[in-house]
Amino acid sequence: MAYSDKVLEHYEKPRNVGTLDKDDPNVGTGLVGAPACGDVMRLQLKVSDAGIIQDARFKTFGCGSAIASSSLVTEWVKGKTLEEAGKITNVEVAKELSLPPVKIHCSVLAEDAIKAAIADFQKKRAARATPATAAAATAETVK
Amino acid sequence: MPALEAKYRALSLELHPDRQADPKARRLAVDKTATLNDGLKVLRDPVKRAFYLLKLKGVDLERDEAGEQRQMPIEFLEEVMDRREALDAVRAAKDVPRAQAMAAEVEGLKAQALEQAQKALTADAVKEATHQLGRVRYFTRFLEEVEAIEEEALAAP
Repeated sequence: MAYSDKVLEHYEKPRNVGTLDKDDPNVGTGLVGAPACGDVMRLQLKVSDAGIIQDARFKTFGCGSAIASSSLVTEWVKGKTLEEAGKITNVEVAKELSLPPVKIHCSVLAEDAIKAAIADFQKKRAARATPATAAAATAETVK
Repeated sequence: MPALEAKYRALSLELHPDRQADPKARRLAVDKTATLNDGLKVLRDPVKRAFYLLKLKGVDLERDEAGEQRQMPIEFLEEVMDRREALDAVRAAKDVPRAQAMAAEVEGLKAQALEQAQKALTADAVKEATHQLGRVRYFTRFLEEVEAIEEEALAAP
């Protein structure tokens, strides 16, 4: 099976490969895997206090499509709000990279990684808030 | 296993396409023989066999969609990430003996996971079997990477 030009482009020149400090309170880390192929993908987002994604890094051990999918989403999420980033779907990723049906799961992995990173950041932020505000926030959600 | 091989031989003689004169029957015999050969491959290989048994219990790990029940624990994914990053460093350093030492450790973990999976399959513990076979899959991928490193070293000494 041949990879599309866009997959090859990202595979040969992946964007934003690397690591951010996972203990930084402004960094959310998403770690996901696909037992169907044994791939593992880590996506990290650095979020400003205003809730804008300032930086993104990834590390993926997997096939070319998995690497390209994660590379692409790191480009896409930069400058977005968490809400906007959370709306990125695997369908958009698969379309942009012209992924064949057997490689759709690679784009699913990238979507899952964004969501996991956002969830991790929000968990950190909730923990950072004073217990009183955290309790108030919980009460708010319950209502 | 000897019983399996004997049964395979008997069936393969019985289904052999050369026994069919009619072209249509011959084509059917070719198909059946291919199915028989695939079946033997699955039964002979303990890993394939375990994946197949799990599929019979309703979990197809060969399929691509990452379903809820196929989600691996985060601690395990962290372990995989650490091992793969360490292997990357070894690859950059072209340290084949170190890669092989890491492979030996992972071989052991894979064997343990397979044994646990087989026990779970016998006990009909589908969730546990899924988890253990997921581990088997990740360990297999690691070992494939080590093979690739060995090949690189042979190709460019």
